Amino acid sequence: MRGTHFFKHLSCISSWRISSQPRRLIHGIVPSPLSQRRLSSVFRNFSTPSSLPTTHLLTSPYFSVRISCPKDSADMLSEALLCFGASSTSMDEQGSDEGNDKICIDSIFSDRQDVDVCISHAADSIGLKELPSYEVRVGEQYDWIKKTQESFCPVEVTEGLWIVPEWRTPPDAHATNIILNPGFAFGTGEHPTTKLCLLLLHGLIKGGEHFLDYGTGSGILAIAALKFGAASSVGIDIDPQAITAATQNATLNNISPNKMQLTLVPPDGRTHEVVEGQRSNSMGVTTESESFDVVIANILLNPLLDLADDIVSHAKPGAVVAVSGIISEQVPYVMEQYSPLLESMSVTEIDDWACVSGTKRRGLTVN
Amino acid sequence: MSSVKEILTRRPVSATIRLTVPAGAARPAPPVGPALGQYRLNLMAFCKDFNARTQKYKPDTPMAVTITAYKDNTFEFTVKSPSVTWYLKKAAGIELGSGRPGHVVASSVTLKHIYEIAKVKQSDPYCQYMSLESICKSIIGTANTMGIKVVKELD
Repeated sequence: MRGTHFFKHLSCISSWRISSQPRRLIHGIVPSPLSQRRLSSVFRNFSTPSSLPTTHLLTSPYFSVRISCPKDSADMLSEALLCFGASSTSMDEQGSDEGNDKICIDSIFSDRQDVDVCISHAADSIGLKELPSYEVRVGEQYDWIKKTQESFCPVEVTEGLWIVPEWRTPPDAHATNIILNPGFAFGTGEHPTTKLCLLLLHGLIKGGEHFLDYGTGSGILAIAALKFGAASSVGIDIDPQAITAATQNATLNNISPNKMQLTLVPPDGRTHEVVEGQRSNSMGVTTESESFDVVIANILLNPLLDLADDIVSHAKPGAVVAVSGIISEQVPYVMEQYSPLLESMSVTEIDDWACVSGTKRRGLTVN
Repeated sequence: MSSVKEILTRRPVSATIRLTVPAGAARPAPPVGPALGQYRLNLMAFCKDFNARTQKYKPDTPMAVTITAYKDNTFEFTVKSPSVTWYLKKAAGIELGSGRPGHVVASSVTLKHIYEIAKVKQSDPYCQYMSLESICKSIIGTANTMGIKVVKELD
């Protein structure tokens, strides 16, 4: 079901009640309860079990409290509120010509009971003589979710390659357009690391390669590889929401399931059992462990260091392995960990972000 | 040092946001979501940036983040490691400091704990110009106000 339908109906929502069962969020938008039939048809598509804690956080309302306090104690009060249980505080910048000495702090709480206690403790702890006046407003998660969705625009990564959010039309219909709805998974195409990996893929894929996206997020790299001409893509991730988002994005780009597989893997790096098992089932071929021509892992420094052996083990000897999601100062650690495994290593950088790539050494013992 | 030109063209600030996020575990969900989403900031970019920069801390350490949001929907943020009191409580294995510091001892920590805490704190923006020795002294002072005894070795 396309996400565009939801936008038309969402404009007339003012409030909604949380249903008794936690619901999985679709594309990051909470559906309106206006039509039961529409709701049930939407949920029919999602058979994956929802991860309970995150879904609960995303469906329960939060409480936004606006506190008015004297300007010079605003900073201290913000910090104190955080110590006593506020989730976050924010202060809008005042224009310099405003005469009064009061400033408003907006604070977010997850639990209504905490608010009064927290504010009085915080005010006491910094020595305010009187309790500041405040008002509590219930905020719906939909408020901020919709605002962030609005900030996605089509991005041109390189000439002829655009990443377009699902609800916009591609600026150039003839270019390679990857349609995305990232939901809560990482990868909209704007981030320098995504760009670095996409540029690398663009240069590498000549046609017919088998690609592994280690830590696929929204699936953007796996989809891009197929659009550039790869024979197949496999995307793995430890986050169920990522797999859901990537599956939806594959459908948005009209990619058939036998070209792209997406699998949830355990966080401890035992990816081989899952990946090889899947491939032999669908491809009908028994595979050895080194089976990919290109492997890219755009995650974070610590997992890259811990899982180096696992990441490289999926690649054929001589295949390209690239890792990103690291800031420039972290490059030496990555080089040190990967140089026993890769040769001809090179580093590309955009802003403060880096991508390290190399080819797998031949003659490495396979575990 | 900012040049005069930089100061003149400094972007207008729209808000200052403070929150606590576990190191390496920022996600677009609450608490990050509502706080940043209100100002239309790029949640994904913040999460990736924050997670990458906090890789050197122990996972899930609560980091104090201060984000400056500019009117053009860009942002900058600084990250502070948890307060000294938090580290001391963890090292001493207690939830609360002593009710009567100076009279009642809540727990104790070794000099090695103090040294380790000082090393982490040294990378905080406001401690960078202090010598390790003076940071240690300041931590020992905090321990005294909490009723935590500092011993050479734990037996």
